[in-house]
Amino acid sequence: MLHIYFGDVVGEVYNPSSYFINQYEDEWITDDLSKEMIRDVDRSDVVSARVIDSPVLGAITPRELSGGVKTLILMAFDESGRVFNGSACGDNCAKWILKIAETKELTIALHNIMDFGKGPFQIHVLNTDKVVTDGLSYVTEAVQLV
Amino acid sequence: MKGAHQVVIENKRLRYDFTIHRNITVIRGNSATGKTTLIGMLSLYQQDGEASGVRLSCDKACVVINSVRWQENLAVIRDSIVFIDEDDHFVKSQEFAEAIQASDNYYVIITRDRLPSLPYSVTEIYGIRVSGKYAGLKQVYNEFYRIYGNTADAEKADICVTEDSNSGYQFLKYALAEHSSEMTCVSASGKSNIPAKILALKDRHPLVFADGAAFGPEMERVDRLREQGFHLLLFLPESFEWLILKSALINEGEVSRILEQPEDFIESREYFSWERFFTDLLRRKTNRTYLHYDKAEINPAYLQDSVSSQIVAEFPEKVKKLLGIYEKK
Repeated sequence: MLHIYFGDVVGEVYNPSSYFINQYEDEWITDDLSKEMIRDVDRSDVVSARVIDSPVLGAITPRELSGGVKTLILMAFDESGRVFNGSACGDNCAKWILKIAETKELTIALHNIMDFGKGPFQIHVLNTDKVVTDGLSYVTEAVQLV
Repeated sequence: MKGAHQVVIENKRLRYDFTIHRNITVIRGNSATGKTTLIGMLSLYQQDGEASGVRLSCDKACVVINSVRWQENLAVIRDSIVFIDEDDHFVKSQEFAEAIQASDNYYVIITRDRLPSLPYSVTEIYGIRVSGKYAGLKQVYNEFYRIYGNTADAEKADICVTEDSNSGYQFLKYALAEHSSEMTCVSASGKSNIPAKILALKDRHPLVFADGAAFGPEMERVDRLREQGFHLLLFLPESFEWLILKSALINEGEVSRILEQPEDFIESREYFSWERFFTDLLRRKTNRTYLHYDKAEINPAYLQDSVSSQIVAEFPEKVKKLLGIYEKK
């Protein structure tokens, strides 16, 4: 399930890009989930663990992936238990956050109101301990917390 | 700093071309649109100039700062456009708001955070989009686009919500009564309370009057409510004072010139937001006249038919219609 805390979290990784650069593992990049997320969000193809083909930037390393994709990969594979700043992701990452949270308990911090669409989904708002299942109830909670 | 400043920055693969109009610009939007790449190119140029392979064209210095010693760095940066990437938490601090309030720089801040301490305009929130290849070369051309466009899309309104109970609210309340409108007017007691007010009016159709010049921090929350089916209309002129100035009550060439191109007259060091400038301008222009302006309490002269109708004339037709206010001939 996806657990969201709106606002600053003690120990939160506010800058996931920096954390990613220093902590990512080659296997994370070549995992099918990462390949799909990189193709969808960054419109780039993973050639190998250390080479990604970007239509704009040319051959890049995982360090040059977008901040959003780096954060998604951390959410999917990092096992440190850290809470990542979900607001490093744009709305085009929202569906992937929901997908990652289908297979694990994922806790993120948000500093804006990410657009998760109309639903249905299962989001646990930690500030109020409410589980919301559609866009209206999610936004109704979020506007009072951001 | 005053004025609008075009920034063109490019390398062999990418070109960004945009114009900064006022002291605070916020860039947000989807991931992978090139926000951090823009900061990266500016950083390289800052470090090595043209030898970096990046070309920059702007009539002002473009500077990137990050969280390392940001206060010390800001203290020595003058008359520049300062860029800040989204990874830098300090932009949320009160210290940052205070530091930039007293500086003569413009700031371009990449963030999805709300930044309630900064009075940025709804019109200065941008995303970045690709607008095609530049000049037929293999260079991707990126431009800024306004995230919040037309806000007048509701077909019905049955209650007015203003951000506070100052002159604008008092004027509106009077105008509604004067025109026998059935609409009531309530204050949200602060612009940050407007989303909560909209929630509380769930089954109503509120028309929100607020100062667009400083409404940026509230815009995402209001927009999300609208996306989820809340029926609301936003009327976001720069400010109530701007409406009065625009109404030609103060028939001066200088005022017309200012309103035509405000950025050429508003010094960022003196005015944190344009709303404050327009309030000050109106006060100065009406000082010692029967129209002397007091923001806290409306001068009864503004409620006279001949005066109020000139202000109402500046409301968009759609807003007047929804309010049930018609210009008196």
